[in-house]
Amino acid sequence: MDSRAFRRFRKNRGALIGLVLSGIVCALALFGPLAAPHPPDEQRREALLDERGIPAAIAAVDGHPLGGDTVGRDELSRLLHGGAISMAVALVATAIAVFLGLTIGVLSGYFGGLTDMASMRLVDLVLSVPFLLLAITVQRVFSSTDPDESLMVLFGLLGFLSWTTLARVVRAKALQVRRLEYVQAAIALGMGHGRVLLRHVLPNVIGPAIVIGTTLVAQMIIAESAMSYLGLGVQPPRASWGSMLREGQDMLTVAPRLVLLPAGLIVMAVFGFNLLGEGLRDAFDPKE
Amino acid sequence: MRLIRRSSAALAALALLAGCPEAPQGPRYVGAGASPRSGGVLNISHETDVDGLDPQVAYNELSTMVMRLMFDGLLDYDHNAELIPHLARALPVVSEDGKTFTFHLREGVYFHPMEGLPEGRELIAEDVRYTMLRLMSPELGSPGYGFYNTIVGAEAYHAGEADDVPGIRVTGPYSISFTLERRDQTFLNAMAMTFAYPVPRENVERWGPEVARHPVGTGPNVFERWERGVVIEMRRFDRHFEQRPRPDRVVFYENLPRGTAAMRFRNGGLDTIHRQSQQDYHFFKNAEAWQPYLDEHPKSNVWGVGMNTQVAPLDNVHLRRAIAFALDREGWDRARADRLSPTGQLVPRNVWGYAEGIEDEHTLNLERARQEMALAGYADGYPEPLSFIITEGDVGRIYGELVQADLARIGVEVRIRQVAFSTYLSETGTRGRAELFMVGWDMDFPDAANFFEPLFHSDAIADTGSQNRAFYSNPALDAILDQARGVVDRSERRDLYRQASRILIDDAPWGFVFSDTLLEVWQPYVRGYRPHPVWPQNYRDAWLDLPRRRAGAAR
Repeated sequence: MDSRAFRRFRKNRGALIGLVLSGIVCALALFGPLAAPHPPDEQRREALLDERGIPAAIAAVDGHPLGGDTVGRDELSRLLHGGAISMAVALVATAIAVFLGLTIGVLSGYFGGLTDMASMRLVDLVLSVPFLLLAITVQRVFSSTDPDESLMVLFGLLGFLSWTTLARVVRAKALQVRRLEYVQAAIALGMGHGRVLLRHVLPNVIGPAIVIGTTLVAQMIIAESAMSYLGLGVQPPRASWGSMLREGQDMLTVAPRLVLLPAGLIVMAVFGFNLLGEGLRDAFDPKE
Repeated sequence: MRLIRRSSAALAALALLAGCPEAPQGPRYVGAGASPRSGGVLNISHETDVDGLDPQVAYNELSTMVMRLMFDGLLDYDHNAELIPHLARALPVVSEDGKTFTFHLREGVYFHPMEGLPEGRELIAEDVRYTMLRLMSPELGSPGYGFYNTIVGAEAYHAGEADDVPGIRVTGPYSISFTLERRDQTFLNAMAMTFAYPVPRENVERWGPEVARHPVGTGPNVFERWERGVVIEMRRFDRHFEQRPRPDRVVFYENLPRGTAAMRFRNGGLDTIHRQSQQDYHFFKNAEAWQPYLDEHPKSNVWGVGMNTQVAPLDNVHLRRAIAFALDREGWDRARADRLSPTGQLVPRNVWGYAEGIEDEHTLNLERARQEMALAGYADGYPEPLSFIITEGDVGRIYGELVQADLARIGVEVRIRQVAFSTYLSETGTRGRAELFMVGWDMDFPDAANFFEPLFHSDAIADTGSQNRAFYSNPALDAILDQARGVVDRSERRDLYRQASRILIDDAPWGFVFSDTLLEVWQPYVRGYRPHPVWPQNYRDAWLDLPRRRAGAAR
């Protein structure tokens, strides 16, 4: 980010709010599990459920500031651990998507011809499949009862389905960059493709990639929540904000906080990353 | 602009979550106050789908509930769970030695219209014989065969070694007699099961293996249409032998989730519900206006954690006992809103044969569980994760997490596999496939035999479609059960079942956990409905007090 862009970013209040919100969410994800007062899957049914099965309310039981969930687990600890998983899924999936999108976009724009043709048709193909339908199919085929494996499937699934927009934008930018005189000159002087790509093309396309990547994080949080809500995401006893949403819905009228808390955190995270992404775009590209 | 739109959408979503549009607190509609009459549409539902309506094959609560709307049996139960004649004119005449039963059928009982027979036709004794032979045929592979294997010649016929069953004789157009090899105290109960509900040969031959989707019986409703997994529609059968007021049509919705069903019910779109989510359960229990229209009663069923006794490491009885004694039954009850009644043996409290005060029942006893783990050779826990199969849905997930947390305390890691009901049945019913699984049994008839024999007798083991899902085989238990079936003296018989309970508690093919209670709610305009002690959701006698009107509206 050059200094003008940085100044624009700093003056943009929305962008700063976004930075703070996404910073909070990332901090929660990083340090939350360490700060959690209880193991997230420890069930204390005697303490945290009354005889009618109603979960302990906020601050009703010492040591459980947010009360318990439907099977007597500490709600705060689950939110903190759940956040780590939600964010891990979102960040890893985004990283995969950005890597794929950048590589394919740059190669496609720079080399053109058959490479371009093939990769852009691949983009069309991936975009033409309804996301949830494919996600559900893949999840069913690779479904695993091992919580770790199921997490890997989720990483890959979301990553491999989300690189397309980025690839298109990067390709367009690479097409532009490729025709610039200094790039042409470098090629004419006999610089290898690898060096040209790394030294001249990549630095020019990295800006839009960061912008899209940031908003992608927000989309991945939503996607993970949707998958977990449908029971296709993280496997029990692991929590994510999306799966907590699902667990809480059965008690919505009795203990609404079991839905409102994870929902609020999802909204905050998505809102934060979206604001940040928009702020970055405005900073990089003042014309829009 | 984009930003604002996005954030307002998020806010709207939150607002929606916080204050969903409210359904009415009490019933929305009440009846007209008319005298019993026919007419209207009865709308009912269930949260899973029906897998078949072939009475000789289907063996689950949901199929039973739907089949009983379209089929009749020779015998039935009254509201005291006593056998009464139904298609039979009277209870059968029993011979001196107690081994021959002669039934006289009602005359003027008709099968529904079917292809080739648009007027239907009369039920005769030969149809009953045909049905029984079909049930016992080797080709059909009916899970119900074991209930009838005491009929003379049944075993040879079932093995494909004979063409006929000499124990079943048609003695007149409306008379049929059954002769048994030995006394069998459950034979009449078996004759009241849906397996013995008569079907017409013509329809079976017309549809072949597809007959499970084209039911034709003598019951109060005629099958009309089945959109698989969505809806089954029936219309009233006007030639039914019991003339009484009934709805014109019955529409049964499949795969309606509990929450959706409750919401639809409260808005008047469904006429009954019988399973609720936690919050809906709390709602109905606490809503005063609904109290006259609901009934909560313990079900005659038993649930437990099943263990495949033929696969390692669960072939180790100590590990099985450790698991059985590690399950926190009271905690489960809390997590399920006090709707469970914890137990530690097979026969439910409200069924004849319950072993009152039997010693050392399964209960939460962590010390005992850890001792058993040590005896099993896993003092430090079992090193590999075990899979636990359970059906899809929120309730399944909760039970999965409860098992997971309980067994973690004795060092057994559990991985939950939530699957569709049909997958559950095939996975747990195939030899050598499943490890741990959630398992339950709803009573077919009010006798302890109906819990022991289908679940734990060696004869109930099959390579696929096994009812004995624990694949538990114990000659000592088999001998007790075979003996008990023939004993006439009630207290002597009860003692035998007590011994059988003892064996199962010690061998722990299941960790016995609970019986559950059922809360049934119906609309004020649904009349004549009463929860039945034997049959699930028995809507046969219900009629609709129409036109319904808005509650609170002036007449």
